[in-house]
Amino acid sequence: MQNEILFATLALVAIVSSIVMISAHRPIDSALSFIVTLISIAALFALVNATFLFVVQIIIYAGAILSLILFIIMFLNIKDENLPDEKYKNRWLLATSIIIAPFSAILIDLIMRSDIAVNGVASEGFGTIKDVGLNLFSKWVLPFELVSILLLVALVGAVTLSKRSE
Amino acid sequence: MLKAYMILSILLFSIGVVGLISRRNIIVIYMSIELLLNAVNLSLIAISADMADSSAQVMSLIIIAIAASEAALFMSLFVVLFRNRASLDANLFDILGNKHA
Repeated sequence: MQNEILFATLALVAIVSSIVMISAHRPIDSALSFIVTLISIAALFALVNATFLFVVQIIIYAGAILSLILFIIMFLNIKDENLPDEKYKNRWLLATSIIIAPFSAILIDLIMRSDIAVNGVASEGFGTIKDVGLNLFSKWVLPFELVSILLLVALVGAVTLSKRSE
Repeated sequence: MLKAYMILSILLFSIGVVGLISRRNIIVIYMSIELLLNAVNLSLIAISADMADSSAQVMSLIIIAIAASEAALFMSLFVVLFRNRASLDANLFDILGNKHA
């Protein structure tokens, strides 16, 4: 019962803050409310015993990526005339929601009808760094190495892009 | 509990798609893409907890790494675009490179 109340609260916080995120006019407001979304998603990870992913979500998403976004937003010194004048922003949001709503309604209906819950019994150290790490370095070695190449490419690409070409 | 997690994930994904389609501010578009990745991560973690198998957690760890590399590229793109056009309007960025048409 306690878990259900926690889940409902966190889900409500995540949905409301993500709606604020897509509808705020200034980018700094949407970045700050996106931090709230990410932290509540991290708490939802912790609610199903994914402790290592909880820590990773807090450190990488809410720590590194969002502070990078905030740093860039403040570094660019954005004034109101630099923002796009979205005169019909609310109308666009409403129209797109009407278009997207049937698809998500169909998906939710499918989830409600189907019998997807397996209810497996978790072993003692489920979701800890030992469990995830053993899995990562035994079955998932090739994707791990590919991700390291991808990170190297992104590093070189970021340096090349932001270099002044004179 | 798994169904509730999946429904929350679908709702977050739909909100992300709405933001991605209807906004013109590139920073908000980028954060909507991150919201899509997070919704997928949420459903992966719920499935992994339900099946008591940590493979899906490794998968979402890899998705987080991909999102980090995407963040690095997006940030340098923001800096370059803002330096060339002094705006964040996605409608202006229709050509890549510095030839002003």
